[in-house]
This record gives sequence, structure tokens and C-alpha cells, in this order.
Amino acid sequence: MTKVIEIIGIGKKYPGVVANDNVNISIEGGSIHAIIGENGAGKSTLMKILFGLVKPDSGSIRVRGEELNLKSPQDAIAKGIGMVHQHFMLADNATVLENVILGSEPTGALGTIHYAAAREKLTEISQRYGLEIDPDQLVASLGVGERQRVEIAKVLFRGAEILILDEPTAVLVPQEVDELFSNLKGLTSNGLTIIFISHKLDEVLQIADDITVMRRGTTVANVHPKETSKKALAEYMIGGALPEPHPGESSRGSDKALKVEGVSFTDHDGRKVINELSLDIFSGEIVGLAGVEGNGQSELIELIMGLVKADSGSIEIVGLDASVATTRQIRDAGVGYIPQDRHRDGLLLGASLWENRVLGHQGTAPMADGLWVNKSAAKSDSERIVSEFDVRTPSINVAAHALSGGNQQKFIVGREMAGAPKVLIAAQPTRGVDVGAQAIIWNHLIEARRNGAAVLLVSADLDEIFKLSDRIAVIFRGEITNYLDPKKATPETLGMAMTGEKIA
Amino acid sequence: MSTVNRVKDILRSPARLYLVAGLALAALSLIQIWTGANDITSDGASGATLRFSIPLLMAGLGGLWSERAGVINIGLEGMMIVGTWMGAWFGFKSGPWVGMLAAAIGGIIAGLLHALLTVRIGIDQAVSGLAINLLAYGTTRFLSGVYFPPAGGDILTSPYVKPIALFTVPWLSPHLISLEHKHYFFISDLAGIIAGLITRTSWASLLLMMALPLTIWILWRTKFGLRVRFSGENPVASESLGVNVYRTRFIAIAVSGALAGLGGAYISVVSTGHYLENQTAGRGYIGLATVIFGNWKPMGVFAGAVLFGWTDALRIRQSDSVHATLLAVVAIAVIVALIKLYQKKFKVAIISLVCGSLVLFYFFAQKVVPDEFVTFFPNLTTIIVLAFLSQRLRPPAMAGAPYRKGEE
Repeated sequence: MTKVIEIIGIGKKYPGVVANDNVNISIEGGSIHAIIGENGAGKSTLMKILFGLVKPDSGSIRVRGEELNLKSPQDAIAKGIGMVHQHFMLADNATVLENVILGSEPTGALGTIHYAAAREKLTEISQRYGLEIDPDQLVASLGVGERQRVEIAKVLFRGAEILILDEPTAVLVPQEVDELFSNLKGLTSNGLTIIFISHKLDEVLQIADDITVMRRGTTVANVHPKETSKKALAEYMIGGALPEPHPGESSRGSDKALKVEGVSFTDHDGRKVINELSLDIFSGEIVGLAGVEGNGQSELIELIMGLVKADSGSIEIVGLDASVATTRQIRDAGVGYIPQDRHRDGLLLGASLWENRVLGHQGTAPMADGLWVNKSAAKSDSERIVSEFDVRTPSINVAAHALSGGNQQKFIVGREMAGAPKVLIAAQPTRGVDVGAQAIIWNHLIEARRNGAAVLLVSADLDEIFKLSDRIAVIFRGEITNYLDPKKATPETLGMAMTGEKIA
Repeated sequence: MSTVNRVKDILRSPARLYLVAGLALAALSLIQIWTGANDITSDGASGATLRFSIPLLMAGLGGLWSERAGVINIGLEGMMIVGTWMGAWFGFKSGPWVGMLAAAIGGIIAGLLHALLTVRIGIDQAVSGLAINLLAYGTTRFLSGVYFPPAGGDILTSPYVKPIALFTVPWLSPHLISLEHKHYFFISDLAGIIAGLITRTSWASLLLMMALPLTIWILWRTKFGLRVRFSGENPVASESLGVNVYRTRFIAIAVSGALAGLGGAYISVVSTGHYLENQTAGRGYIGLATVIFGNWKPMGVFAGAVLFGWTDALRIRQSDSVHATLLAVVAIAVIVALIKLYQKKFKVAIISLVCGSLVLFYFFAQKVVPDEFVTFFPNLTTIIVLAFLSQRLRPPAMAGAPYRKGEE
């Protein structure tokens, strides 16, 4: 095997921050090379340098022995380097073909696009690499996995031989991850090289041929997946031993803080997504809700938060009849809510951190002072969250979108923990965050439990469910079909339960 | 079952446009036979509809170009005002065609100003559009006062422009008109409509109508058009693929201004022959409405322009035609109700039926329809279209949203 890319001593400084420092990586042709590290370890900067978006201050990059001097992404594409962005760069209201050809349209006289030729080329690419995309479908009608394949096709259409995939699995469900991985194997068996950026250690161990670990802007280890372990990788990433969550003794109280009884809910399309569901959570207890996505988890959360109303049944939260209460009343009764989509439901991305701190608490002291928002209380409590939850931000006055995903999530968790909630709804609390941030969030969830909160933990991460839960409730087709004891159950039995089998 | 599916296929194919148009014509034909009103589909009404539709079509296509590129253009009205003034003044000075050209250039300048303010400087698109409207109004008024009185006009009106030549298609036009006067069901109505389009029609009408096929071709068949549309759908993605979004938007907004300017010049040079203050009478805003009505598609904009232009023409011509047209409204209400019943959407069906019966009641109770209602009718139609179809409308995803290069 030959070295396709050699990254030698790359450094990049921003005012006040060293983003990359003496980064050295060499990547073999036809392989999948993973680059892992915590959020803020410098992976993104490195990829921007590789793709021509950012110019390095020092060091050099060689592609097939030739020194690269990139001025723009177009230069990178011309050298056969393509980037599959984490956030899809697609237009919904256009066809797959239009999205793929944009920017490198095959044209004839007067700038007329040769659609037939373009369609043929795309179909050929789709077949050769098993991408299974239909050129004439509207992107709006595609699922997440398909959109990602369109993004890959876009890069291949431009003749890329080196593909950079930036956290490609962050938005995928497990089944789609498997499909992506088989597509990636198809690409490398055709001689393409893939740079796979991630912080999900399981996936990296599963797919990568080589792994480079980055920490604080520099490369700290090069390892083979067969010669390492998840624990070792995590320790390279954080530069020390990973703190394990210690739930400790049961702190379960005697009162039911959350009582859901015989609740049913029918969605817009007339499907009965929640069916006579009952679930009680005691104070001081974490109940992990496990299930394959789409079995009613999201709807159950929306029902508890009063965002939608049930067809029948009752929901009681610390004595409040939540089936008729407004979301505001429910929150004021002492319910914290970590939403699963932090960008859509958790933050005002354009507003400052301290303003985001007020959200959800705008009606009650200390955030509210009569009719007014108590700005100084909001600011001082934001400072508290930033230090207690290790939110890495230049200040509490910056807009929320300036923070990385993991830091945004820590801030949301801090906000929802404020004021000692009696009930905490935590939906995918550590989705898309690195191991360090995950450990912090886990510890705070455990602390909330110790302080007597009833925690509903909804997660697709079974490891998280096992580590934190006092009880595991399995949701299947809108019903709780099983309760499991995390100390006795195995991932296998839980997996069976999630597909609808009754476990005694 | 298979026939049902075939019908469904036809209803989904582009051919449904012809089907709908044919059905509408048949309905109007029946109404004329029944009520004795015969000016709904006459060559005169058709010619007038054409003359009223073209300024709206130009404004609508102007709005389409701009919004497809991602910038809402409320300044269309101002750009039309610039067009009416430039068209009339330079038309008076150097002939009507020079006037049209000057109007297009005036529109482009106003468009480039809008582009500069919104794309480059990042001012709110609605604010910039309103500013252009006010600026156009004030500037033209000032210039009218300076230039018109010495040239033989007054502060509100320009001197007359030499008219643009008319054409009539020989042989076909007289034959169609004689066929129209025979009052056969459907055939005479069709003949009347076509005759109206090719009898004593301005060459300017023909030329400006070319904007419709040209727009379709450029926006959907060329590289530049694809980039315009992506600038409105996802500018960040476009930029990442090497598209110069700023430049694309500048050009698209300039085209938008040119079209609106030409639409304005059509009013002053072709329809009235001179400039009158306030001549556009909000047609720029109606043009924006046709963009929404037409679901951001050129043929839809065209349909909207014809509908609005037609009601304008009817109002000017004969009120018994308007009165008879009420029956068409009833028919539409009944058809909507039947479709909704079939889809088991009873609430909408009932509302539709109630509205239909109210209109029917009015038809029998009164002999005339107030002008105000006729003027308002297209706006009402737009509101109804928005209310019923809003979920199916597909505006460009990023139209109206500010975009700064290098930010996500």
C-alpha cells in the first residue's frame, strides 16, 4: 500500500487559540482512516485545512507525493479531495440530479445543461458504488440516509478519490449506520480513500483500518483497531482515565412524581402512536426508556410536556393534572426538559447564552422579577452553569450557535437542572457529544436523582441506559411492554425486548 | 379501477392545465348561453385581458426571478413606477421603443440598488423594497415637475408618446371573429379568445410575452438558471460548490427590475400612451400576489396574471358579464365541495357549499355586482388559494432570509 496523503507538522493559530499544533498523519490509499478526538480537539480545523477552507500557518500536506497548496475548496476538488459535510448541503425543493450537478454542470451552447448526460453519469456512479439513488426524486422526499448518499454522490460526481466524512453517523439511526458502512467498504474496495472523523469509539473500531487520535490540537496516537480497545482510545482522547458514573445506592423515594395512566394518542396521519400507555416514576429514581426509534418515545415526551394533548388517559406530575395543564404550568411545577433536538427545541441559536438561560424559566423567580427579566440573575446563573458544567465558551454573551454541539448540550443540561427540578425529562441527553462531556452530563443526571428528582431517560444509547437507570422500561408500538432490571438484564435480552418479545 | 388510475395519472400530468382551461371555458360558455351575457369570452374582452395581464405578468415574473434567487422584492411597485416614467419620457423624446429600453434600464438600476442594499449591505429585504417604492414615487414626482410642463405636459402627466404599431394576423383574425359571432357552444368562445389575441395587438405585447418562455428556459434549462434557483434554496450549499451567490443574486434582481420596468412602460407607453401619476395603482404588489398564487412557477404566475388581468378587463367593460361570472364562482365552489367530499374532508366541503349558495343567492337577488367587489375579487382569490393550498405551496426555502457569505 502506498501513502496517499501525508500531513506533516501542520499548525494553525487563531487569536488566543491554538487550533492545530504539529499534526502528523499519513494515510494509506484505499483505506478508511479514522481521526478521533473530543469536541474542540482540532479535528474540524484540520479538515478545513485539508479541504482548502483554511490556510495552515505551518507544515505541509502531500497528496501522492505532490505538495499541496490549496486556496479554496475548488482547488481541493481539483486535486481529488471531496468533503461530505456533517450538515447536509442540499436544497429540498430540487431534484437529486440538480443537487448533484450544481457547480459542475455539463453544459452545451448558451449554457444549456445536458441533463441526459448528467443523469447517465450519476446513474453509473450510483450503480458502481451501490448508492441506490434515483436522480429524479425530489430531495424533500428523501430520508436522512438517502440524503447522505446524495452528498457522497455529489463528491464522487466531481471525481473525488479522497473523501472526508465529517461525523457522518451523527444524524443516522443504527440501521442507517450499517448501510453507510457497507457503502464505505464499497468505496474503498474501488480504490477510494476515506478520512472518517468521529468521536464514536464503537463505530471507529468497527469501520476503520487505521485510527489517529487528536487531543488539544495535536496528534497523540496512531493505532490499529485490532490492537486497541475502546477504553484505551477514550484515555488517549481525554488524556487520562475516564471517570465512570457511579449511581451508588438507590435513592428511590416513596412518592410517584410522574404518573402516566392509560394514555393514548393519535397523530396527524391517524396512526395510534401511543396506545393505553402507563408508566410511573418515583422521586429519586432514573427510569431508562429503551426502544427502537419511532415507537412512541417522542410522542410520550410531548404528551408529558403538554406540547400535545392525549386522546384519553391521565398524566399527573407532582400533583398537577398535566393532561389539561399548559406547558408553562407544567414547567412551573418543576419539570426540567432536555429535548432531543437541541437546535430545534433547546436553544435560540441567535441569542446569547444568558438569554438562553432564561428560556423555560421566564415566568418564575429568579429569572423573572415581576414583569421583567432579571438580567443580572440570568447572567450570574449562566456563569455558574459555565463553570459547573465545564461549558467551553469565550463568554456568556456570545450567541449559542458559536458553541460546539457538546458545549451547547452541557449548557442546556445545566439550565434544566437549575432550580432542582422534581421531574426531569432527558431525551438523548448525550447524543452527539464527546466522551468527556458525556461523563459530565451523566454525573449531573445522577446528582439530580440523588437530590430526589424523578428522571425519565430516553436514549438510543443502550450503554447509557444500562449505566444510569434504576429500572429500564421498554417501549414498543406505543406501549410499555417490559420492565427490566439493568443489573440483571444483558444487552441481548434488552434487544429482544425492544423488538417486541416478552421477557419474563 | 384502472380507469380511475388513468384519470388520476392525467390529473397529475402537466396536461391537467389544458384540462382545467378547457373545463373553465366550457363552463363560461354555458353561462353565456344561459344568461345571455356574451362579453365574457368575446375578442374584445380577450384583447383587453391581454393588455391588463401583461404588466402583471411582467411584475410577477420579476418577483419570480428575485424570489427564486432568494430575495423578496417588494420594490417591484417602485420599479414599475420608474418604468412608467422612463418609458413615457424617453418614449416622447425618442420614440416608443427607446422608451421601452429606457424603462428596462431604469428598472435595472432600481434592481441593482435593491441588490446592493439587501445582498451586499444586508439590509432587511422588506425595508429595502419599501424604501425603493418611496424613492421611486418621490423621484418621479420631482422629475415630472422639472421635465413635463416645459414639454407640453403638466406636473402629473407627460406629453403623449407616439404609439407602437399594432398587428392583426391576416385571414385568420376575420375568420375567427365571424366564427365567434355565430355563438356556437365552446367553439365560438375559443375563437373569440384567440381572435382577441391576434387582432389589433401591439408588437410590444408580443415582445413582452416572450419573457415567459425565456424565463422558463433560463431558469430550468441552463446552468445560470440552476444557480439562480439554488441561491434561493440553499445559498450555503451553493457557495460550497463554487457558486458565486452574491453575483448570481445581483444579476437575478437586475433581471427582476428590468421586467418590472418593462411592465411599467407597457402601461404608460402602450395602454394609455402617456405617463399619469399613480398609474401603476399597486400592480407591483399584485405582481407579488401572482408569484404566491402561481406557487413560484412561471406558468402559475402566468395563470395568476391572466386571472387578475381578466377581472380588471371585465370591470372596465361590462357589468352584466361580471354578474354572469358569479355563476362560475358558484360552479367552482360546487366542484371544490365535491372533491373535498370525495376526500372525506367534510368541513371544507360544507364551507365551500355555503359560500357557493351565498353567491348564488346574490346572483338572483341583485342585477349588478359593485365595482369594488370586482376589483377585490383577485385578491380574495389569492387569499382563498393561500388558505387552501398553503401546505402545498413551495416557496424557495431561503427567500427573504439574510445570507452572509462565509456564515452558516
